[in-house]
Amino acid sequence: MNPGINRRQLLQGIVGAGGAVAGGLVTSAVAEEHPAHPKAPPDAVAMLYDNTICTGCKACMPACNEANGLPSDTTLSGGLWDMPTDLNSKTKNIIKLYEEPQAPGFAFVKRQCMHCLDPACATGCPFGALKKSDWGAVTWNSSLCIGCRYCEVACPFDVPKFEWSKWNPKIVKCEFCYDRLKEDQQPACTAVCPTGAVIFGKRTDLLAKAKDRIAASPDKYFENRVYGEYEAGGTQVLYLSKVPFDKIGLPKLKSTSLGHYATKVTSVLYQWLSGPVLIAGVLGAVIKRNWNRHETERPKREKETGLRDQL
Amino acid sequence: MNVHNSTGSTLVNHWQRGVPVYREPVLTRTLMFFAGLAAIGLILAAARFFSPLAPFSGMNDAYAWGIWKSFNVMTLTALGSGPLAVGMAAWVFNRQQLHAVMRTALVSGFLFYATGLIALGFDVGRAWNFYNVLMPWRWNVHSAMLEVAICMPLYCAMFLGFENLPMVLERFYYTGSDATKAFLLRWAPALRRIYPFVITGAYVLPLMHQSSLGGLLLLAGDKIHPLWQSPFLPLLYLLAANLCGLGFVTFLLLMACLRYSRPLDAGILGELGSLLSYACFLFLAVRFGDLVWRKQLGTAFALDKMSLLFLMETALILVPAVALRSRSMRETPRTLLKMATFACLGGLFYRFIPTTIAFFPASSSSYFPSTPELLMTVGYMALGIAAFSLAVKYFAVLPGEIKDWNHMFRLVRQRRAAAISGGEKPWPASLSTP
Repeated sequence: MNPGINRRQLLQGIVGAGGAVAGGLVTSAVAEEHPAHPKAPPDAVAMLYDNTICTGCKACMPACNEANGLPSDTTLSGGLWDMPTDLNSKTKNIIKLYEEPQAPGFAFVKRQCMHCLDPACATGCPFGALKKSDWGAVTWNSSLCIGCRYCEVACPFDVPKFEWSKWNPKIVKCEFCYDRLKEDQQPACTAVCPTGAVIFGKRTDLLAKAKDRIAASPDKYFENRVYGEYEAGGTQVLYLSKVPFDKIGLPKLKSTSLGHYATKVTSVLYQWLSGPVLIAGVLGAVIKRNWNRHETERPKREKETGLRDQL
Repeated sequence: MNVHNSTGSTLVNHWQRGVPVYREPVLTRTLMFFAGLAAIGLILAAARFFSPLAPFSGMNDAYAWGIWKSFNVMTLTALGSGPLAVGMAAWVFNRQQLHAVMRTALVSGFLFYATGLIALGFDVGRAWNFYNVLMPWRWNVHSAMLEVAICMPLYCAMFLGFENLPMVLERFYYTGSDATKAFLLRWAPALRRIYPFVITGAYVLPLMHQSSLGGLLLLAGDKIHPLWQSPFLPLLYLLAANLCGLGFVTFLLLMACLRYSRPLDAGILGELGSLLSYACFLFLAVRFGDLVWRKQLGTAFALDKMSLLFLMETALILVPAVALRSRSMRETPRTLLKMATFACLGGLFYRFIPTTIAFFPASSSSYFPSTPELLMTVGYMALGIAAFSLAVKYFAVLPGEIKDWNHMFRLVRQRRAAAISGGEKPWPASLSTP
């Protein structure tokens, strides 16, 4: 009576789909795209910013604008000079001031893209418009971006900005002066900094240098540690600060990369589409059985009612 | 076809097949109202295409996703998951009596997805680059956004489109010329041959993208309040889609049958109510299991703002879960309508809150949708409502009795005969009687 698929066909389907999953598991075990604690490649570059040295001269800001062809943000200054209040679609780099509410203390902070080792923006970007380029610079490609702004939702530092007022909007963020790096030049901001508050170099070298500074003057720096060594899996911009990091807008983050958190389950389920194929195999077998029953009973039903079966 | 009630007398099973709404004017004042709202929304959307986003929305860099994404797409497609939830119940779990209400689920689901995708099309800033979807070597296969971007349009256009096709062809069959009939009869077996394979895809795809919608929020990390940010977001988004799909089909059947004075079918509504109750319990089990596992139960009952939101959301799902276990409750249409509404609202809150109210970006900022933004959101929804009220009159969507079907087609044949003898066009524009 039941013309559904037989046990053998069902088993074949399940075994086939199971094989796909097993294959997926093996390949995913070989190369993990988003490890929990990514390792910086040996050629990874970095910036080290030390707010005990920064005088707040803001020389890095016009240098950045010039190197990136950015306009001045004159909203607050009545059209006179560059005066952004935060990173925005005209500002890839900014010096901000933090003042202690009571004590006469203050601290500067330089904000720009952190160039994470495993950037959440690039993990989420559907067509890879944002990606980890040479030396670890996180760059943006206009011809791959659909303007979905998932990067803005994903970035734990709120760095990528969107040109809300342009018909052909771009994602604006520091790209580590990638064009200058290609010409063997350092980024505009580090090149112009007169005091050496922000310096450029290999990530391993700068990390060592930062730790030397901490060792040389214990208790000068907050928590005696480098911000960016482990935050969000590690970043390629490193900070030394005399005040708590959260006071200067550097959020408290776990050391696991967000990309790992977001993809650890799906990267296994979706490896070579094994999960969907397995589900399709199981559902398909059951549906085919029920469908065949439906079709066997159809002539009788149609005869009874005198009406054609509806799907 | 008949069911027996407890007293032993026989009740007619009122929902036997899809029957178009007939003897009703098509262009009603209500329809014109919704069409007007839809027109406003679509005109604004067209204008938005020639303009930057800024004048049309209140979004900013901290709240880069506004209600077009967080409500029209991420929230409302949960209500549009009827084809998944009811379809799986009917074809996978073999609840055969639900076949009669599949078309209500399919049409509403298609409209939720289609309007959501329109919203998305005008929300993205660089839509012209979407051609990249055709080049697999450019795909970032780890991106949940990519999965959603491929899967949702594909599901709506190909799979929901295909599932709604028999309904459209059926109209051509019953109203078309003899040549049309012969053509359709020749191709019907082919359609039936591929049907079980297509519906398999039609369940796998939404299982993927409805969970990926929750997966999108994982990357937002600590920006989302710990009551909602969880590794279980993808599964919970899917389970919320399941309960919203069942809840909304129940709600829609009750509302539409009330509106067009159709008799109700206690058997099918009871079945839907019972499934809805299980769907709510399943969601709550995973929700609380997750909170216990992440040690967030204290946060859940801290009675601060976020905790109260959570408790409201949970109550809206818990009440129908418990109430609909009672047979008398789910067979009382008014109670069932209330409970389905509660469940839908609870599911919608679960999907909406983490994208907006419980979303805390690093920089201090606030977002409230601007007037054009709201008008566009309302317009897309009105477009769906207007299209649904047209669909039920032109196609056999809403479930009804066989005698209604026969009666309707007697009217159709009479009009057709009169038209042919009068030398007019052989088929009237609508099925409504003069």
